[in-house]
Amino acid sequence: MATDTFSAVLDPEAQRTPATEDSGAGLSSWQMAPRLETLHGKTLYLVNQGFGGSDIFLEQFQSWFAENMPSVKTVARRKTGFIFRDDTSDLWKEIKEKGDAVIFGVAG
Amino acid sequence: MTAVAGCCRTLELKYGIPTAPLSTIAFQNVVQEDREFFGVPLRFTYAPHPVVSMPPSVLRGYIEGNDPVTGRRLVDEVLEALTKPYTAEESANVAIARPALPEKQRFLKGDTEENLQRLFVERGWTDGLPIILPTEERVAAMLTGTSQPLDKVVSKAFMVDTQENLRVTVEQVAIVAVMAGAQPEYLPVLLAIAAAGQPAIQPSTLPFASAILVNGPIRNEIGMNSGMGTLGPYCQANAVIGRAWTLMSIVWGYARRKRTFWTSQGNNYTYNNLCMAENEGRSVWEPFHVQKGHKPEESVVSLFRGWNLINSMGAAARRSWGEEVKLQMQALPALYSGATLILDPMLARHLKENENFQTKLDVSRWISENITMTADQFWKNDMIDMLVAPLAASGVQPYASWQKLPDDALIAPYHRPEKINIIVMGGETSPLWKVSDLDYMGSQSVDKWRK
Repeated sequence: MATDTFSAVLDPEAQRTPATEDSGAGLSSWQMAPRLETLHGKTLYLVNQGFGGSDIFLEQFQSWFAENMPSVKTVARRKTGFIFRDDTSDLWKEIKEKGDAVIFGVAG
Repeated sequence: MTAVAGCCRTLELKYGIPTAPLSTIAFQNVVQEDREFFGVPLRFTYAPHPVVSMPPSVLRGYIEGNDPVTGRRLVDEVLEALTKPYTAEESANVAIARPALPEKQRFLKGDTEENLQRLFVERGWTDGLPIILPTEERVAAMLTGTSQPLDKVVSKAFMVDTQENLRVTVEQVAIVAVMAGAQPEYLPVLLAIAAAGQPAIQPSTLPFASAILVNGPIRNEIGMNSGMGTLGPYCQANAVIGRAWTLMSIVWGYARRKRTFWTSQGNNYTYNNLCMAENEGRSVWEPFHVQKGHKPEESVVSLFRGWNLINSMGAAARRSWGEEVKLQMQALPALYSGATLILDPMLARHLKENENFQTKLDVSRWISENITMTADQFWKNDMIDMLVAPLAASGVQPYASWQKLPDDALIAPYHRPEKINIIVMGGETSPLWKVSDLDYMGSQSVDKWRK
């Protein structure tokens, strides 16, 4: 291979800038939801995001609660809307009205 | 993963509902990047990977077994995520302030060709094949292929892995064009592809394939092959244009392994993205771009995305063409009714003259009406379950009705003829065809990028 020096080869990468505007990045203030004192007597939504196997995984959670914490009412639901977006509102409103907490997944 | 985090943030911050998000161990770094970007301390619990295809007994074992990150029992962590109050330390905003990126240097440090070739490989700027080094002189020559200024912005994108905005200029497209081995006259086609803002390699765990179709006068002007061996390695323009689209994905960062690109096996089609030109001169039907509203004299690039391409292994000598196509298309998911058939001009002529398919849409309608599969086969496809089942649950027809059918009920899953694309190309050696699940993503004018 030739050993001549190439002194003017262009960098092929595109120009990048941090995406901070409108992205929600580094929110300056927020408040996590208050945690429950106990799950007993509460309604727990098991929300399947829609990836393969998530429904069966959450069914197993439902069985585990029935066997080990029967006072917890579990409701298995699938996320509405598009699987890859945070575009759900109907189910979240239902949970706000009827539920107390959410197990959500499974990413992967 | 990002959707899980996004939904849980919304539930926590907007609705005030405590959440216990779940991920598999494979996406731990993505969870961490999300945390660093947003600063919101979601309490993720990790299961072993994978979840998909595991029997219920194994998944039960995951729940009662340990989180592979912390070594603690998974279900205990989930219970704690919902009941243990956040400490001040845990609630601290850990979003990492991202300083402005340094202005990109236009030139690399000078070196020998051997060392620079190695640099391109080490930085992940190649498809594994040698590239042409984009020297200033070569890029300047490439830019003679367009009248557009080198600093004109061709497209913008948001990079989910690095949470950065990406800006691509005419010069960046010209650089990739040089690397791929393009001639200056190919540049308008590549600018049109770049302007679509669609990556050739889709950020995903799935092995997507992409495809390029060129219509109009530029096909012949730049020497694209739409005849014999059109999809084989026999034509510089087809080979290089297809390769360049993949290099755009690799160099600009759409396809970063274990950042945005997770597919276990990949897809060999992404080496040159089935780059093709329609054989308009030998087709008995309207060109594809005219079907999409362009004038015949316009030059247009159309892009497609799917997974599979099934070749006809014969010419339907022992069965009708329709029966053969039915068998092939039943093997595809029929996602949103999308499909693309690539017919040799000889077959297109036969279908028109002997089978009375006067237009491409006649063929699409026949497919739509005659290709059936059971409801069970349709709904048990992973893509259909992921992407169509939510539509059915929302009442979108015909999916909502199909979901209520018994498993053995027959449905016509290619229910939208306009989504079944017909492309004519080939050398008329035999009346062959190809069937694919490639879905049309849109078209871009080439002419506005020409000299």
